[in-house]
Amino acid sequence: MEETVGPSEMIVHLGPQHPMLPGPFRVNAKLRGETIVDSEVEIGYIHKGIEKILENKTYLQGITIVDRICYLEALTNEEAYVGCVEKLAGIEVPERAQYIRVIMEELSRIQSHILGMGEYASFIGFVSMFMYTIRDREDLMSVIDSVTGARITHSFLRFGGVKDDLPDGFKDDVKYVFGNLKKAIDQYEVLFSSDSIYKARTVGIGTLTADVAKDLGVSGPPLRATGVAFDIRRDEPYLVYNDLDFKVCTQKDGDVYARIQVRLDEMRESMYIVEQCLDQIPSGPLFPEGTAYGKRSPVMRIPAGEVFHRVEAPRGEMGFYMISDGSDKPYRVKIRGPVYPTLQALPPLLKGVTVADIVAIAGSMDTCTSEVDR
Amino acid sequence: MDANSIIASLSDKFPDEIYDTDIESNIRIVAKVKPENVVDVCRYLKDELSFGHLCCEFAADYPDRNGIEVIYVIGSYDHPVILTMKALLPRDKPEIESVVPVYWNANWYERETYDLFGVKYLNHPNLKPFIIPAEMIGEWPLRKDYKGFPNRTANNLV
Amino acid sequence: MQLDDIIYNPLLRGILGLCLMGAIFLGAMGAVWFERKLAGDIQQRLGPARAGPYGLLQLVADAIKLFTKEDIIPKNADRLLFISAPILMMGSVFLMLVAIPFGAIIIDGVTYPIAATDMDISILYIEAVSAISVIGIFMAAYSSNNKFSLLGAFRNFARMIGYEVPLGICIVSVAIMAGSLNIIEIAQAQSPLWFIIKQPLGFIVFFIAIMADMGRLPFDQNESEEELIAGWITEYTGMRFGLGFFAEYIHLILGSMLIVLLFLGGWNLPAALTANTILGIILPTAFYLGKVILVILTIIMIRWAVPRYRIDQVVDLSWKRLLPLALLNLGWVIALGLLGV
Repeated sequence: MEETVGPSEMIVHLGPQHPMLPGPFRVNAKLRGETIVDSEVEIGYIHKGIEKILENKTYLQGITIVDRICYLEALTNEEAYVGCVEKLAGIEVPERAQYIRVIMEELSRIQSHILGMGEYASFIGFVSMFMYTIRDREDLMSVIDSVTGARITHSFLRFGGVKDDLPDGFKDDVKYVFGNLKKAIDQYEVLFSSDSIYKARTVGIGTLTADVAKDLGVSGPPLRATGVAFDIRRDEPYLVYNDLDFKVCTQKDGDVYARIQVRLDEMRESMYIVEQCLDQIPSGPLFPEGTAYGKRSPVMRIPAGEVFHRVEAPRGEMGFYMISDGSDKPYRVKIRGPVYPTLQALPPLLKGVTVADIVAIAGSMDTCTSEVDR
Repeated sequence: MDANSIIASLSDKFPDEIYDTDIESNIRIVAKVKPENVVDVCRYLKDELSFGHLCCEFAADYPDRNGIEVIYVIGSYDHPVILTMKALLPRDKPEIESVVPVYWNANWYERETYDLFGVKYLNHPNLKPFIIPAEMIGEWPLRKDYKGFPNRTANNLV
Repeated sequence: MQLDDIIYNPLLRGILGLCLMGAIFLGAMGAVWFERKLAGDIQQRLGPARAGPYGLLQLVADAIKLFTKEDIIPKNADRLLFISAPILMMGSVFLMLVAIPFGAIIIDGVTYPIAATDMDISILYIEAVSAISVIGIFMAAYSSNNKFSLLGAFRNFARMIGYEVPLGICIVSVAIMAGSLNIIEIAQAQSPLWFIIKQPLGFIVFFIAIMADMGRLPFDQNESEEELIAGWITEYTGMRFGLGFFAEYIHLILGSMLIVLLFLGGWNLPAALTANTILGIILPTAFYLGKVILVILTIIMIRWAVPRYRIDQVVDLSWKRLLPLALLNLGWVIALGLLGV
């Protein structure tokens, strides 16, 4: 974007500190009246250097650090990291642990989508909706808390299995919570689709077509809202997703309304997946038999090699590329977050819209700046 | 479109530029490429073999081989094969051609690699300091010989 | 000394005006408490609950906090405009207050309204004076030397200009039906039937237009938090902010009073109920204030239940939808008048 301004233009910085921006990044927008002529996104305000930190910690210490890349989807971050190490070392995860991992990751996906929807509603002035979603999320967090011991940064997965088994009465808790959650999701859908002001603010805004989305490199719900059925759980299955029956939710329009609708549908699919898992889960050990994993934390030396493992995070495609040189610390870890290309795709989407829509479009892409900056 | 046919097609079209190919499983293939021909190979991958999704692009520092390796991980929306391409650059002058004309979302990946490693991308549209402060450009934090900032702690801010 | 001499004495009227100013300050504090408690109820949480019983002293605590804050004026701000903008906004609402009746006393069948003045053109005066606040907002935004405030001010102008026109046409249709521009006579003219029954379309248009005039959601673009931080009031601290804040809530109360006076019957009661002197003093005012509170409740609930429009949709709504409806209503009233209803 050029810094020179024409006769009736001005440059506005929606800076890193702002009451209602989804994360600390900066948007420099050149306005003519109220329409945006050109814009630019600047990041780097919370760069923590996680990739360099991981090179100096052992593999086991890395689990707690990888949690904190994006604290709302902590379990999927751990899954990508632990999956890489398991592929390099050739560890085979027993079935019961795989089912537990799928259950916890789907629960994590539901709570991330609920918060994403609520946050978007608060960006367009619908504050009561935000409060409702937070209230409905509390029961879910209690269930996750009863299994992993923490509400956000869990540190639950280990190489070869999970840390703890499911507690007694888990199935009844989940059934009770899902009963309330299904009613709540139906209520949200009715609230969204019957409100004409909400529709006037979302239908036709920030439209992406399938070709443009593939060109710009977005993934996750924004891509599925344009009609492309790209879901890593279906295309490159990991854990036990091969044995489960679920459908990939897509919409056709590609605007903001479609993205919120995709998130609502995905929440329902996740609940269905968890119910199937609870029916099919076998009993068995949590760690592979006859190995040291799970007993005491050994100082593990992972054989040399390189691997790229990707999972379906709530926000899109999350990938870890790990280079190991045979010692007990990784040589190079590259974290490919799902929101990085999505945030990069924001300036083309913002051409010609009014200022009021910057935050709406950015919020509907569900950006989490913590993982953009790492 | 499976791994074997992709490797065969690549080796046929670029016999000199692609070397050291390896098939790790039926969805993961690795190839090494000469740094001067990166853009041509990427264009062929995108147009002919439908590898339209650049997963990521980054660099790794190998002081014992005296080089910095730029790694491209390229996937596709139509088939599940992922190709990892590596290009080794000399450590004292790492320059390579930018692939932004082929893959639009390589823009930010290349800016970040320049900030952290010092790899200069030729013909990049916008190679400005990105995630580290502008004063730190030149220190290349993620290289293996970066010593941290021992004299710049909170007590004596310089 | 007759009762008339007491009530129409200018000095006593002045004292009455000052008492009304004090009463409306207390009313504004009550309205803010009411809004915060109601928002908490809609969102399933407690509102203010710790300062005093049921949080009633929360506003006193907030006022003390605002008084003790540091007074910051930005370096490149235009000092004179910056300081006088909140004063202008308060002045505009107090000028409106002067002509609006707060109740009535009915003694021996004669009505004595509790108002500071009794002008022949009071409704015209009220609408003209309420437009001064637009200039106040623009002064505040322009002198703040802040791009976000400026954007808020532009939107404010677009909104006000758009909504004054349907508002004016609805007032004209009410005045035609009542036969006078005096607001007290308009209230009196609703004796058997309220005007909402005779012109329901006018009521709907007036309600929407006055909500836009007051700057309440879904029309609060000039201070929307999402992109403009706080709009025109971003750079104000301490009691200057308090003045602007209270001016908005006083405007809310006065706007609701206007709705009740013009369409919902004012203080009219069947004659049998006001025959007794004691009842005649208390009952009309209580009935009137009860209706005002109900209208305020409705406006507050609408704010917390809907999202916010974009500014071009707001302008669209006023010029393309409300204006034809207001003209239709005017035609309807003229037709009723010609038929002699």
